[in-house]
Amino acid sequence: MFEVRSDEPKYAFLWDKETKTKNQYGDSIELASETSDLHGVSLNINNDAALGENPNRYKQHGFYLNADNCIGCHACEAACSEKNDNPAHIAFRSVGFVEGGTYPEYQRLNISMACNHCDDPVCLKGCPTRAYTKYAEYGAVLQDPDICFGCGYCTWVCPYNAPQLDPVKGEVTKCNMCVDRLEVGLKPACVSACLGNALDFGVIENVPDNREQSKTEIPGFPRTDITHPNIRFQQTRQTKREMTRTDSMPLKYHKDEDEGQYKPVVDEKHGAKRQWNWSSLLLTHESSHVIFTLTTQAVLGAFLIIVLGHLVDSQLILAIKSSAAYLPLLVVMNGLLMTGLFKLNMHLGKPHRFYRGFYNLRHSPVSREIAGVSLFFTSLLGFTFFSFLDIELAVTLFAILGALSGPIGLFYMYKLYRIKARPFWDHWQTASSFVGNGLSIGALIIGLGILMGSGISSVLYKDLLVVLLIGLLLETAGHIAHARDLKKGAGEGAASWYHQVTLYGWPYIISNALLVLSILTTVALLAAPTSVVLWCVLAISLLSTVIIRRSLFFVLVIPTNMPGGFFWKNKGFEQHAKESGLAKMQQVGVAYEAHRVFNIKELVKTIKETSMKEAVDQIKGIFIWKEVK
Amino acid sequence: MLFGRNKKNPIKIADKKAEKWTYATCGYCSVGCSIEVGTNAEGKVVGSRGVGGADVNRGKLCVKGIFEHELFESSGRGDKPLIRDSIHQGYRETNWDEAAKKMVGEINRIQETYGRDSFAVVSTGQLLTEEFYTLGKLTRGVIGTNNYDGNTTLCMASAVSGYKRSFGSDGPPGCYEDFEHTECLMAWGSNLPEQHPIIYWRLQEAREKRDFPLIVVDPRVTMLAQKADIHLAITPGTDVVLQNALMYVILDEGLEDRDYIEANTVGLEQLEAEVQKYDPTSAAAICGIDEDTIRNVARIYAKAGSAMSIWTMGINQSTHGSDGVVGINNLNLITGNVGKEGGTSLSITGQCNAMGTREWSSCSGLPGYRALENAEDREEIGKFWNVDPEFFPKKRGLAQTDIFPAIETGQIKGLWLVATNPMTSMPNTERTRKILEKLDFLVVQDSYADVETTQYAHLYLPAATWAEKEGVFTNTERRVNIVRKVTDAPGDSKSDFDIFNLLAKYFAGSEKMTFPEKPEGAFEEMKTLSKGRLVDISGMNHDLIEKQRGIQWPYTDEQADKGELPPSGGKRLYTEAGTFRYADGMAKLIPLPFIDNNEVPDDKFPFWLNTGRLVEHFHTRTKTGKLGNTNKYSPIPFMEINPDAAKELGIDQGEYVRCVSRRGDAVVMAMLTQRVPKNMVFIPFHFFDCVNRLTLGLLDPHSRQPAYKQSAVTIEILEDQQAAAQLSMEMRRF
Repeated sequence: MFEVRSDEPKYAFLWDKETKTKNQYGDSIELASETSDLHGVSLNINNDAALGENPNRYKQHGFYLNADNCIGCHACEAACSEKNDNPAHIAFRSVGFVEGGTYPEYQRLNISMACNHCDDPVCLKGCPTRAYTKYAEYGAVLQDPDICFGCGYCTWVCPYNAPQLDPVKGEVTKCNMCVDRLEVGLKPACVSACLGNALDFGVIENVPDNREQSKTEIPGFPRTDITHPNIRFQQTRQTKREMTRTDSMPLKYHKDEDEGQYKPVVDEKHGAKRQWNWSSLLLTHESSHVIFTLTTQAVLGAFLIIVLGHLVDSQLILAIKSSAAYLPLLVVMNGLLMTGLFKLNMHLGKPHRFYRGFYNLRHSPVSREIAGVSLFFTSLLGFTFFSFLDIELAVTLFAILGALSGPIGLFYMYKLYRIKARPFWDHWQTASSFVGNGLSIGALIIGLGILMGSGISSVLYKDLLVVLLIGLLLETAGHIAHARDLKKGAGEGAASWYHQVTLYGWPYIISNALLVLSILTTVALLAAPTSVVLWCVLAISLLSTVIIRRSLFFVLVIPTNMPGGFFWKNKGFEQHAKESGLAKMQQVGVAYEAHRVFNIKELVKTIKETSMKEAVDQIKGIFIWKEVK
Repeated sequence: MLFGRNKKNPIKIADKKAEKWTYATCGYCSVGCSIEVGTNAEGKVVGSRGVGGADVNRGKLCVKGIFEHELFESSGRGDKPLIRDSIHQGYRETNWDEAAKKMVGEINRIQETYGRDSFAVVSTGQLLTEEFYTLGKLTRGVIGTNNYDGNTTLCMASAVSGYKRSFGSDGPPGCYEDFEHTECLMAWGSNLPEQHPIIYWRLQEAREKRDFPLIVVDPRVTMLAQKADIHLAITPGTDVVLQNALMYVILDEGLEDRDYIEANTVGLEQLEAEVQKYDPTSAAAICGIDEDTIRNVARIYAKAGSAMSIWTMGINQSTHGSDGVVGINNLNLITGNVGKEGGTSLSITGQCNAMGTREWSSCSGLPGYRALENAEDREEIGKFWNVDPEFFPKKRGLAQTDIFPAIETGQIKGLWLVATNPMTSMPNTERTRKILEKLDFLVVQDSYADVETTQYAHLYLPAATWAEKEGVFTNTERRVNIVRKVTDAPGDSKSDFDIFNLLAKYFAGSEKMTFPEKPEGAFEEMKTLSKGRLVDISGMNHDLIEKQRGIQWPYTDEQADKGELPPSGGKRLYTEAGTFRYADGMAKLIPLPFIDNNEVPDDKFPFWLNTGRLVEHFHTRTKTGKLGNTNKYSPIPFMEINPDAAKELGIDQGEYVRCVSRRGDAVVMAMLTQRVPKNMVFIPFHFFDCVNRLTLGLLDPHSRQPAYKQSAVTIEILEDQQAAAQLSMEMRRF
């Protein structure tokens, strides 16, 4: 048990005497009834079997921030990092700020934020490895780095930037609510350290002494409807009509006088100049996602064209199948998909824990995507293998399996990007682009394959070109609608649009031109289907546009996150520190991504140490899920 | 909804396995927080925590204190004495015997050739009090140079000078507990949330119990200014005008405390005559505060049952710093606000032991607030130390800011720097470089071998830091508090106490004196010397200090003998009428004519340059610049500039710009904020080769403290941002 000192100050102790039953969202504050078997279980902190005696142990707790009082002194962040032994580049709690007014009526609002231990933790639902648990004890949402494989999906879905992906260790860690302190009746370390009397902590909806409000939002704080965060605010001092961010995000917050609430609007921080920025577009951590999504979609597209074409007795497909190009084409498709999967796996912080990707089939679209794509990959392998052996029944079986699992995988690939905290992705264009790319590149791959295999009548190409054109038009339609919605929208989506036409203005224009060129070339090919020149032009323009556009998809997304500071938690400064070399000094607090290692030893050790029963239990656990209401 | 994995792993929470907690007082600023440093079973330092039962900080620590334990393993520490014949050579490692012989030999040579005062000593506010006392004994009693000062000249000299002029002695009369009683608090150039966060918390606690007006005087909208009821955004360098105008209103409207003035002060007539020249209408034109506000503030302050003023560098670091302190004292004396609960003039000091050096280092006098100018004091100390009183100079020598120009002009040939870094902290860095380059012999004694001054040193002495040694600090509210030894200093480095004792042995003539071997021995000598004086510590001892979590002076041996324990806090000076330290017991009301000699903005240099502190850094960053968890909040220097001014100049947020003054230039990253007015920029002072390349630092005539906060600069945009980033980075080795 955590040591309570003999001279522990009064402010460090929890104070809740009475509690409410429902929170402001209508959720129950009590998390486990007295008769529940969740009662009386040790949290087993660091293998200590002792049981905490906190009288409110099974009630949802949360932080309270009196934003009037926060002075931005970093004591909470420091106390947290000291307690959790965090290196400089990791912080479970951060203070960001927004400012407004004109000298001398200037105002800075500091917002100290950690994990909000939400009622509906999207991190938990999103995590494919089930590293997260929402405990009945205090309602704490805890994450186990030993389970995590470092995909970082929780950091995408969380609207508050609570989970921290450590690029050095390749795993996520986060605020643990200091449950060890709660067990002995002490408030979390950050709260006890607060020097402005701004932070407090207790059973949710309880308002600390001397405080009056219990608001769920303040300017700069992201929307609460996504997760029902357990944080309450006081903010009584008049704030200015417009509050700006000091970090590099092109966002500010504007007061809606009627509703009295702040809405994020675009702040054109970098002017209106159209820029290139090729290297920051193409050479990012997310480039493995670019490769994975594009190759999977392309191979799936090609596979479906072949399988469904066969089903409808397409002359083209039959001709292809009997041509010399067919088997090499299948090999190429396998190679492409393998490359995509390899890139995806190796981008994980801990690639050797890949098998954990299926653990959360119950909730996580990532798990479902991984399951779908893996099954599709298996189908493709089987399909190819038996095509070589020419065993028709097996080929058909794998064709059916692939035609089912592939689209399921693709559907969840799309679903996983529909993240409410990431408005740029949260649009149907994500689907039209994924499907469109699948059709167009899939058709392109087949087209290029048979062009080399030759001997096929030029008339037969037309079906393929029509599919390709449908793919391109689908992509274009989504693209136009997306642009229209972003432009007329507000907030983070509009900010992404602003970056699209400024920071990445030239790549964006070029990709649009290439898309148009691809459409025109495809139309031209309909007239001259076997023109090698046109096929080459199409291949170059289509591949270039999809690579640029998919890279833009990842680089442009702006999450509905908390504002940062001028240096700390400022994406712009982090980027600058890496480019200039400042980040080489560890004390700058900006970490470079470590090289990802497939730690075969760890994998072997896990296999050795896991008994058959444990393995079976683990698999059972994927399908049988404990959930208490 | 609850979700759980079927099988839960044990929750893992970092456990540093601290087995032993050792008591210390924080070694950063002067607030004097009690801190415990944790060590694990192997004796490795693993954590820090605030001491719950300590009156000062009541369990809290600021961002610097929370990570103070990481200092022991920070980079750049020296572990061997380093020596070289010329600054153009590389250093070689040496032993203490050779180092001491070299040092003493060079001091003797320089003094024999150019006179006793041609070797200067500049110390610090960072050492333990016993170390200050020993250094004072060595310098005054053995080396005998009169050019001996501390870097407190750069931060607290104006407060010292102002206290001496008004009250007849140094010594802040108030305490933190005054926040609990005051009915009006006025903060002059003091930004507690950033500079002294724990004191801010004490203030916040008091304000939550009982609302009282907070008035903040600052040209910048600091965090404290945002918390204020009234913010007076004053024109830089015109505090004295505002003070005179406030007194004009108070005296004009008969709001002064006649009884108090009668019983405690002299000089009211002269003061009244002077303030007649500062009616609010005329004053408003100079200080930039409108006349109605001046009248309003004067009335609030004078009518409050008790009112207190706190101040920091906004007052001290200006050409009228000492006058500004006297002005605050005048204001408090005429309203009867010195020596009562919630009524005081409380300077918020900078360094952890700025007070200790003021009391015991003999820098500007002799130990225990004794003066060189006083024959009795010289006699008493001479006898106590077994030094011929005639050996002592009869008048104070040069201050730090006069020692450097004396090196420039050749009167001083040798210098010993102890735990101070003038390369970053003195105004006009380029001039400082030239000055250090001129020295025949420079000794740098510091915990860090990479402190910038070692570029110009001939000898480097590696010193222990903070809790690698034992002794006491005195904080802002005159609280003596103890640092216990937590861990050993690296390699061959020694505590400053041991270094001074070692050096003493190598000087001829030190045999007849005693240099106690342990800090307790020195503390016993200080106790004896403090008896019956203002700074009476005779009732204290190291163990009692730790037990009480620090003791405010005075605490006398009579009190101790009677079994009277010191109070946990709330001790004040001058609580009895007519007990000020002038011979007649009266405080002086001193008229303050205003002379505007600042470098003000003009067409060529259109911006005021203001400087100041950041919460995450301490002084010249030799400590905090190396710890990621403090440094990351501001790893490189920046400049606050008003967005309207930036727009006119074409400067974007986060761009590097060149800031130019008549002295030099600096490359900084622009931070656009309405915190500063359109004609002012602010640059933090912590960074090497940065803002002090620009500052003028005119000296206060009384305290010799430089005016860092009033210079004029111009801003130039930099086309080649990449080159600017490179240049900025080259200047940051840590």
